[in-house]
Amino acid sequence: MKNSNKLVSFLVPVISILLAFIIGCVIMAVLGANPFVALQSLWIGAFGSLRNVGTTLARSTPLIFTGLCACFAYRCGVFNLGGEGQFLMGSIVCCYIATRSGIEGLPAILLCLIGGAVAGGLWALVAGLLKVYRGQNEMIITIMLNYVATLFMGVVYTNWLREGSVPQTESVPDATKLSRLFGLRATTAFVIAIVAGLLVYYFLFYTSKGFQLRAVGLNMTAAQFNGFAVKRYILMSFIVSGAIAGLGGSAELLGTQFRLINGFGAGYGFDGVAMALIGQLHPLATILVAIFFAALRVGSTTMQAATGVPTSVSDIIQALVIVFTVAGLAMVKLPQFKAFLVRLTDKKKKEAV
Amino acid sequence: MDWEFVSNLLLASVRMATPLIFLSLAELYSQRAGLVHIGLEGLAAIGSLIGFLVSLITGSPLLGVVAGAAVGVLVNMIYAYATINLCAEQIVYGMAINIFAPALASFIYRVYFGAGSELVQVSLMSTLASMLGITSDNFFVKLLLDQTLMVYLAYGLVFFTAIYFNKTKSGLNFKAVGEYPKAAATLGINVVGVKYAASVICGALAGIGGAYLTTCYATTYTDGNVAGRGFIALAAVIFGRWSAGGVLLACLFFGFCDALQIRLQVSSFGVPYQFFQMIPYIATVVVLAVIGMKKAGPKGVGKPYLREER
Repeated sequence: MKNSNKLVSFLVPVISILLAFIIGCVIMAVLGANPFVALQSLWIGAFGSLRNVGTTLARSTPLIFTGLCACFAYRCGVFNLGGEGQFLMGSIVCCYIATRSGIEGLPAILLCLIGGAVAGGLWALVAGLLKVYRGQNEMIITIMLNYVATLFMGVVYTNWLREGSVPQTESVPDATKLSRLFGLRATTAFVIAIVAGLLVYYFLFYTSKGFQLRAVGLNMTAAQFNGFAVKRYILMSFIVSGAIAGLGGSAELLGTQFRLINGFGAGYGFDGVAMALIGQLHPLATILVAIFFAALRVGSTTMQAATGVPTSVSDIIQALVIVFTVAGLAMVKLPQFKAFLVRLTDKKKKEAV
Repeated sequence: MDWEFVSNLLLASVRMATPLIFLSLAELYSQRAGLVHIGLEGLAAIGSLIGFLVSLITGSPLLGVVAGAAVGVLVNMIYAYATINLCAEQIVYGMAINIFAPALASFIYRVYFGAGSELVQVSLMSTLASMLGITSDNFFVKLLLDQTLMVYLAYGLVFFTAIYFNKTKSGLNFKAVGEYPKAAATLGINVVGVKYAASVICGALAGIGGAYLTTCYATTYTDGNVAGRGFIALAAVIFGRWSAGGVLLACLFFGFCDALQIRLQVSSFGVPYQFFQMIPYIATVVVLAVIGMKKAGPKGVGKPYLREER
């Protein structure tokens, strides 16, 4: 039974992805493009050459961070929808340190990454405190804080750190930029993201603190009765998940974007939630889903050039994957479905006899 | 602070509160049937796009609103099926709708207008005063008559909802489903039917709330034009303590914050305008923090209903 559960939780996202692609192909065909050519150019765009792979990994980096942010919080039963705000606060602090502190090179990079993580953690802590001490709905609070952070970033790039007439901040100095991996678009930020993912995985599944945190997420009342410090775990999950997002914000600024500009980080928070849900709150699966999402986005540009199908078709495919996966995961938990599975296996046994 | 500033502010508050009223009522109907819906933002996004397109094609903002309501219902049926029949977690599925519906809206916009499109604008719904040919600068005339039909519809719906939930048998049955579905089922109430009815109402109202933004407020559609109103509406329902009257007051308050923000931006004082734009969002956080937690909502909210389950 355990094995079949694992198989089902693997099959559901795979079937969802297939279904989403089928619908995507139908949409492409309706728009007058050949779906097979489109899919082929999507694949070539994302993985066709080493350079394209590098671009895909670079695009996946911020998504991995926000995905891990969502994943960590939900494991503790906290619905942190504020990944985007925490990501932005991290990048804002990072931008200040990188452009204004006068330090350059490796010390600046370390300071930037730590500063970004602290900023993200503190921004998430605001929501955490309101949830724990005022019993507030963390979803609404974190979303509102996203808008505040986005507007605050607007103040920074249109006013305080504005460079000349263009509404953007000055660029991070060359010495403080993260170095590229093998000359590809992907930078050490990707390595940091993978390490962060492994650390989250190790913490959640191989330490007693991680076990207690998951216990709080699964059943708060039971955890309370077992003497776990529920409030402290909730606060901690806010801080850590915010710090992951903030770290992602600074890594993205130092690795890819170099300046704050309108639209920086937009949508990454919700993308992170989607990836964590499709990855079923498993950190490593979340990373894989993030790379898949990034591949769709990078590949869709090539697809648009080759077939004229707008890139936003890939957004639709992503959205369909989440709609199908969540519904599918709920469906396989239904008693009717379980009974159906049991009947199926019984039949096989009888046939064998 | 002269009288003109104040009167303009109050008039704008009424206008800005209207989409929030539609969205909050959508949330109220959904929660009263035990379905917490955080996907209103997405429903409003697709509603506002379809409202925009239909009013552009037909030239009638009213048809746009109707189309917005229809598409809201359609998309919300996905949510209804997943949460009612498949017992998916409501919060998670609401989030899925929040990701799906805006992506769909933005896709349709791109396909319809092509990649490098110039700004397309529609004419807004005319106000009652201009339909009647009344021109007056009197504050009360403006407040009562210089409004679009949608404003009257919103306040009418609040009045209707208050009576429905408190004074009618059907409304009480509706509330029973949200409080304790199993008890409601033993009384012969069709629990699943009520939940679907709630989803239809919720989808329609959320679609109208979105369509209001492109038929009565702004002349064009932009991605992200709902700007968190779906979530502010959730806060308004909590703030309004799940009653129609309370929700109305909460919406007027948030509408006032929005209007204040716009007025202050115009008069600037040398402060970056983004700080004023933060006002509605910070006000939401502060309000929620001040009222704190008093569990007052329907007790069955968020829980799936399985008839066979004991």
